[in-house]
Amino acid sequence: MTELLYGRRAASTVGANAPVLDLNRSDELEIKDMHVYYVLFETPMDAALARLPTSLHPAIPAHFGITFWRAKESAIGPFELAFVGLACRSGIKPRHFIHGAFASTQEAQAYFSAKYGFPCRLAEVRQRELYDRIEGSIACDGRTILEVITTHMQPVVGAGATVKYSPALCAAETSAGRKLVQLETSYQFARVMRGTPKATVFDAEALGDAAIKPAFPMSGAHAITTAMLHPPRFMVDPGTPAESGGAQKLPR
Amino acid sequence: MKFGLIYELSTPRPFTRETQKEVFENAIDQAVLADELGFASVWSVEHHFLEEYSHASCPEMFLTAIARATKNIRLGFGIATCVPNMHHPIRWAEKGATLDILSGGRVEFGTGRTSTWNELGGFNQRPEDTKRAWEEYCRVIPKMWMQERFSHDGTFFTMPERNVLPKPWQEPHPPLWVAVTGQGTELDAADRGMGAMILSIADVERNIPRFQAYRERIKTCEPVGAFVNDQIAVANWLFCHPDKDYAWKRGEELVGTFGYMAGQTTEISEAYPSSNYTAIGLLGTLRADPHAQDKKPLASGLCFGDPATIIDAVKRWEAAGADHLVFMVQARETLPQQEVIDSLKLFAKEVMPHFSGEKKKAAGGAR
Repeated sequence: MTELLYGRRAASTVGANAPVLDLNRSDELEIKDMHVYYVLFETPMDAALARLPTSLHPAIPAHFGITFWRAKESAIGPFELAFVGLACRSGIKPRHFIHGAFASTQEAQAYFSAKYGFPCRLAEVRQRELYDRIEGSIACDGRTILEVITTHMQPVVGAGATVKYSPALCAAETSAGRKLVQLETSYQFARVMRGTPKATVFDAEALGDAAIKPAFPMSGAHAITTAMLHPPRFMVDPGTPAESGGAQKLPR
Repeated sequence: MKFGLIYELSTPRPFTRETQKEVFENAIDQAVLADELGFASVWSVEHHFLEEYSHASCPEMFLTAIARATKNIRLGFGIATCVPNMHHPIRWAEKGATLDILSGGRVEFGTGRTSTWNELGGFNQRPEDTKRAWEEYCRVIPKMWMQERFSHDGTFFTMPERNVLPKPWQEPHPPLWVAVTGQGTELDAADRGMGAMILSIADVERNIPRFQAYRERIKTCEPVGAFVNDQIAVANWLFCHPDKDYAWKRGEELVGTFGYMAGQTTEISEAYPSSNYTAIGLLGTLRADPHAQDKKPLASGLCFGDPATIIDAVKRWEAAGADHLVFMVQARETLPQQEVIDSLKLFAKEVMPHFSGEKKKAAGGAR
C-alpha cells in the first residue's frame, strides 16, 4: 500500500475562533508603493506535518515564510502587517498556511481578519530599509517576539525581477462551513532585492506555533510594489484529504 | 522520428529497500526490452533529495547497468548536473568517457543545472551561480575529451595541465545536449550548437515557436564541441493500450501521480528570487491552466491511447519539428510492470513502423 505525504493534524483542531468571512464580496484594495519584505526559512519536517491538516501536503523541504507589508497610504490608512505561514501544497500550487498575523493598526487588524481570515493581533510591526540591511520586527505588549535581518542585499534585475509570493491560506468560518481561504494578491514590481536572512529574535510560540522554527536560511527579499488585493477566489476544505480535495474555485 | 525512454526512478512510500530495488530493476528490465524493440535511447535524470519524485541521483551508474545488458540503445545523461557543489567538471568528463567505453560508444551527454531548492539548498549552492557554471562546464568538458593535455583557469574551477582520462569511445566525443525547461533555454542550446532536450511537457502547438527559434538560431551557432548537434528531443508520456479509454484513464493516473510528487518539491523561483530562475518548471506545463476550477485537460501532445491515437500525436510532434520523443512510462510504480511491458511492445509493433528509419537510426546512433 502506497503511503502519501500530507499533514497529520485533525481538521477539527484547525481554525478554532476563526473569523467569519463573506465569500460573496467583490471589493478590492489597491496599495501603491507598498514595501514587501519576505523571508523564508527551512524548518523540520516533523513540525510541518504536525501543523498541517490532512487536506494539505507539506512542501519539501519543509519551510515557512515571514511576510511584512508596509503601506504608507491605503483606503484603510497607513499600516504595517506581518504574517507567518508554513509552506504547503494543495494540488500543485504552493501556498502558505498562516499561523500568526500581526497588524499595526486597528483598521488593518479588522480588515485582514474580516476579509481574509488572518488571525490578526494588534502589535508593533516594523519594517526598515537600512543602508546595509532590511530589518523586520514584531513586538507585542512591549516585548519583541520576532526580529529578522537580511544582509548582503543584491538587486534582482531583468525578467526575474519579481518575487513569487506563495498565497496565504487562513482558516475562516464561511457560509460553506469552516474553510481555508486564500488571499489573492497581484503585484507590479518597481524594485526587488534579495539577500541572506537571519532571525535574531524568534519566539515561535508567540508567533503561533512553538515547533515552527528557523533551521536553515533560504532567502530574504525586499520589494517595492503596487499591490492589488482581490476578493477570495479559492478555498480548501480542511477535512477533505489532500488526494480527494484540493483547492476549489469559488463560484462567481 | 526517434523514440526513447527517460527515467526519474520515482519511488512509492514507504521507502523500503525492497521497494527501492524493485523500482531500479523494473526500469532496467524495461530498458533492456526497449533495446530489443528498437527504441533509440534511454535517458536518466539526475536529481537529489526529491522524495518519491526521483531517486535517480547517480545516472552514470544506472546507465552503466543498462549499458552492459543492452546492445544498441543509446544512453543519455538527462542530465549530468553542471553544478560545482555537486560535481567537478573533470569528474563528469571521466564518467562520461568511461560509460562511453563500457557501452561501445553509445553516450548522449546532456547537461543542465537543476531547478529546485531541494537540490541547490541541499548542496548549499548559490542559485545565481548555476547558469554561469553550466556555461563553463559545457565548454571545458569537450576539450577534456579531445585534448591530450588540458589546463584551465576559469571562474568556477582551475586546473594545471593534466591528461583527463579515459577518452571517450566516440570520436571526437559524445553528442552534447542541454535540458530545456525555461523559456529561452532552447536558444542557449542553439547558440552553443547543442541538442535541445525539451522537458517542459506541453501542448504541441505551444512548443512550435521555440522549435522554430531553435532551428533558426542554431544556423549561426558557435559550437562548444567539435560538431553541431541540432536535434530536438521532447520529453513525453507513453501508455499504449488497445482500449483508448483505458489508456487515457491510466495516463491521467500517471500524470496525476507525477503532479502530486513534483508539486511537493520547492522550485528555485518560489524560494529564491533570481534573474536566472524565472520559469515555473515542469509542473504548470502539464496542465493547461493550474487555476482552472473544472477538471484540467491534459496537454495535447501526450501519448496516451490506442496505437492510432498515439500515431496521430507523434505525427503532430514530427510536423512541429521534433526529432526525438523521449517517454516517461511509469510514475511511482502506479502501473503494474506487466502493463508497462505490454505498452512498450504494442507501441513498438503498431506505432514505430509508421515512422520510417526508426530501427536503422537506432542501430546507427542517435546523431
